Amino acid sequence: MHRSEWVGRHPRPTRSIITTPTIPDQKARVNPFDPRLLRTVPGARRPVLLLGVLGVLQGVATVATAFALTAVVVAAVRQTDLREPSAWLLGLFLVRAVIAWSSERIQAWAGTRVATALREQLLATWLQRDADSRPDRARALTLATQGAASVEPYIAKYLPALLAAAVVPPLAIITLFVVDWPSAIVVILTVPLLPLFAALIGVTTRDDTRTRWQTLSDLAGHFLDVVRGLPTLVSYGRGERQVATIREVSDKHRLATMRTLRLAFLSSAALELLASLSVAIVAVLTGLRLTHGTMELGAGLVAILLAPEAYWPIRRVGAEFHSAADGAEALEDILTELEAATDAATDAAGDRDDRDSPADLIARDVTYAYPGTATPVLRNVSLTATRGLTALTGPSGIGKSTLLEILAGIRRPTSGATERGGETHLVSQRPFLGAGSVRANLTLGTTATDAAVAAAVAQVGLTDVIDALGGLDAPLGDDGFGVSAGQRARLVLARALLSDAPIVLLDEPTAHLDPESAALVHRIITDLARERTVVAVTHRTDLMDLADQRVDLGAEVVAR
Amino acid sequence: MTTDRTTTTTTRTNPLTLTRSTILGGLLGGIATAAGIALTATSGWLIVRASERPQILLLLTAIVGVRTFGLARPVFRYWERLVSHDGSLRDLAERRAATYAALVPLTPARLGRRRRSDVLNGIVDDLTDVVEASVRVTVPVFSAAVAGIIAAIVTVLFNPGVGAVLAAMLVACALLFVLSWRLECAAQDDLLAARAEVTRVSTLVADHAGDLQAIGGQADALSWVWQADARVRTATSRQSRGRALTAALLLVITGVATIAAAYLAQRSGSHIAIVAMLTLIPVATGEALGVLTEATRALARAQGSARRLDAMLDQTPAVADPAATPGLIAAHPDGHDLALADVTASWDGTGDHLPPTSLDLSAGDRIAVVGPNGSGKSTLLAVLVRHLDPTAGRYALGGADTARIPLAQARAAFALVDDEPHIFATSVRNNLRLADATQAGDTAIRDALTAAGLAMWLDGLDEGLDTRLGAGGRGVSGGERARLAVARAVLSDRPVVALDEPTAHLDTTTARAVLADVLTATAGRTVVMVTHHHADREGFDRTLELSSTESGRAE
Repeated sequence: MHRSEWVGRHPRPTRSIITTPTIPDQKARVNPFDPRLLRTVPGARRPVLLLGVLGVLQGVATVATAFALTAVVVAAVRQTDLREPSAWLLGLFLVRAVIAWSSERIQAWAGTRVATALREQLLATWLQRDADSRPDRARALTLATQGAASVEPYIAKYLPALLAAAVVPPLAIITLFVVDWPSAIVVILTVPLLPLFAALIGVTTRDDTRTRWQTLSDLAGHFLDVVRGLPTLVSYGRGERQVATIREVSDKHRLATMRTLRLAFLSSAALELLASLSVAIVAVLTGLRLTHGTMELGAGLVAILLAPEAYWPIRRVGAEFHSAADGAEALEDILTELEAATDAATDAAGDRDDRDSPADLIARDVTYAYPGTATPVLRNVSLTATRGLTALTGPSGIGKSTLLEILAGIRRPTSGATERGGETHLVSQRPFLGAGSVRANLTLGTTATDAAVAAAVAQVGLTDVIDALGGLDAPLGDDGFGVSAGQRARLVLARALLSDAPIVLLDEPTAHLDPESAALVHRIITDLARERTVVAVTHRTDLMDLADQRVDLGAEVVAR
Repeated sequence: MTTDRTTTTTTRTNPLTLTRSTILGGLLGGIATAAGIALTATSGWLIVRASERPQILLLLTAIVGVRTFGLARPVFRYWERLVSHDGSLRDLAERRAATYAALVPLTPARLGRRRRSDVLNGIVDDLTDVVEASVRVTVPVFSAAVAGIIAAIVTVLFNPGVGAVLAAMLVACALLFVLSWRLECAAQDDLLAARAEVTRVSTLVADHAGDLQAIGGQADALSWVWQADARVRTATSRQSRGRALTAALLLVITGVATIAAAYLAQRSGSHIAIVAMLTLIPVATGEALGVLTEATRALARAQGSARRLDAMLDQTPAVADPAATPGLIAAHPDGHDLALADVTASWDGTGDHLPPTSLDLSAGDRIAVVGPNGSGKSTLLAVLVRHLDPTAGRYALGGADTARIPLAQARAAFALVDDEPHIFATSVRNNLRLADATQAGDTAIRDALTAAGLAMWLDGLDEGLDTRLGAGGRGVSGGERARLAVARAVLSDRPVVALDEPTAHLDTTTARAVLADVLTATAGRTVVMVTHHHADREGFDRTLELSSTESGRAE
């Protein structure tokens, strides 16, 4: 069984060349390089700079090779000493080998470096933003996993091609101009035809491809859709029926894809032909001038060796576009998301406010409506909590959990304000236990020592349970041992004990616990409230009785 | 579809198949590549011959050659691409249908118990990688070999020495290809594991951003991401050594071969134009062999994908279909009472994922199955809905032993709503209809949607039941998704509704609202719901509490 290999298999970073062809028109719509990348993501600057340097080195080395090769050919033809030109040529090939080695390594490095920088920056900003300013789950996951990954081939392959296209042709043309200006003129006159030709092909095929695009992407997505829906189809007894449909749709997909590919291949063949013919013109003209004796053999050889260098880097950008199309789009989305994040962060800055007493927690006229809804769940709620236990009560659905999240700063009130004297620690109804080991889960957000962890575990009465699991290193949560609801409630309370936050917010800490466990948890809560500000949402009267203050949300909110 | 369960067939997915289209594509590509080499060689010949200032007529052959080769290269390249891509797409269609057919009996139990959608995405991607190998590896490598051999043979005709140099160059490149392919392979598994870890950690952090903020765990969470990212960087960098080696040594080989050719050509006593041509051929050949760099990576990738696909498809189904077992007399259920007696079950045959459990459910009962992770809740549900065979004990449906009820018939009693319901890229109508064998009319569909609490949502849709959902259609929120799955169950009219953590990915408020609607919508039917949230069991007649087998404690 290799199931573990499958779980979380990384999404495919590059668009498939056979299932998702790029159509010529698409190239025109994607920004080749978004300068916001360098502005917004500091981690991307060095990789892009290095790629640029390598591009220039590669260009210079390529031009130099044309001269050395010419020298070798001339020496071989003229029967002169081959040693010196050979040494030059070999040296240049070695230099190019070093550059090629470094570029493959640096391209791979730069690709992951930028992709990981984007991912880290995205996650970091989401961890700073309140719940309503974060994108929805599906979009967030797409951006952080597939999106960031697809930037990798964009940086590693497309960007170097783009840089080469920017560096090599001008370098080749300038050199050609110095060596043999008539050839340079031919090249200068024909090179602009390449983008012009590409644009023409794009324009003439645009309507055709646009109408087909939706059909094509529907067909392309069909298999993924039915595979992802396989469990649903099988559970309703419709799995086997799909096999024939898949064969049929795949065949339609093949025909539609081939129509699009034919166009794409034709356009690249046309560009190659244009380049070939231009090089042939240079060769023939050079040949003719040589026969007239108006030119040196060396210059002629350099001209025919350099001329292709003016064309292929430009064609390669088109070819590499395929591996970059998704990355360029994802990059744009991620940068937009990051820039929105910067705005939101500056916006929310006024919310946090240190009070005279580090334990004070104040809500003033807080009203909150979920994004996209008109009716607020909370309306003009005010509350002041100081050191001690505040019990927050009220009927189900009145917004107690939402208020706790607002108090913790995880949600931003629609109107009104909150003031927190210090850090808060919120124990929600579905607390996070996905950090791995028992220790990792308990020390999340703290730097507690093992001794402190053991003491907290003892305080909540879980020492025996943890020992039975195998100690603090035992895995917990989704992939580890299960703990019962009562054990979980005490475990997350131990984490609250370990945190340094002067304000602790508890959402129904003893719901669904048997009376014995509840009594223990209540004791711990009252202990905690002696030193910190504790706000607990509860339906339990025994906990309400222990509270120093009771806030009834049902009474606060009159009209709903 | 019947599957022979007595023998495990070993699937061998081979990404490097020689088919008509790869051979034809390889030959056409070889001609295109050879034309490129010839273009450089004849250009060199032309220039040097011209420098002798002959009559223009003597140059005409070379001029025609330059033009012909310049034309042939794009034309043959175009043709090669059409042939090889068409072949790949045909191959893809075949393999997709075959893979799907093979997956059906393995679904859902053998797809893994968590993150099933990731596994399924992986299968689709891996299949694409395997098929793409023909375009990315087989055809380019074959083309390069053909072109190299043509170049070597033509060169031998002019000068056997330089021909030998070219042959040596080809052998060296072949060795280099093998070496760098091994380097790429060595790092492949590591890279894949590192990437999977990044996906896991990013998903965890993105999913739980609010939960992490609640407990001040942001810094810790970011450090997990850094660690996972650092591992991917190391693995990527390690893997790129294969490619880097090919790219660098290819240039060294080209340089050495060019110089060797220059020395041999100089001493050959051939015409000076031939000398120039012989010197230029190795350079042009080296450029043509540049495709090997990318091919090594694609090959390593495709082979990794093929291995994973084989491991997936080689599994034995988790349920035996009594209908396919020879000699077994079929039993048919009478009603749909469920009775489990000391049933145990295991997902992989290595352990007991469900401790001996007995359960009697009469038609119309509503039961919540609770318990911590690992206590066997989902395993129990999988046994109930006949996705997993019990390892021991007896399971009767409507009084008949399920080991004798044809699988399709037994499964038809259950409508399953899990935590990852899929919404297909089609209309609302088609999304619901798939649950109903009788192809319900619009009224029934509207009723089902209303029962699932989607009446308002439906009213808000511009095109009503024709509104397209899923990929490329209208977005569906987590709560809507869960409700659509409930609506399917309602429409299916199946007597038992089984819910596997249906609200696992929903926030507390939405989860409560969905559950309340589930209970009203399924009134009168048997309902079994698995949950690890104790709060969810309100509204159920009974609760079955499973205790964690590992911790051995129940509360």
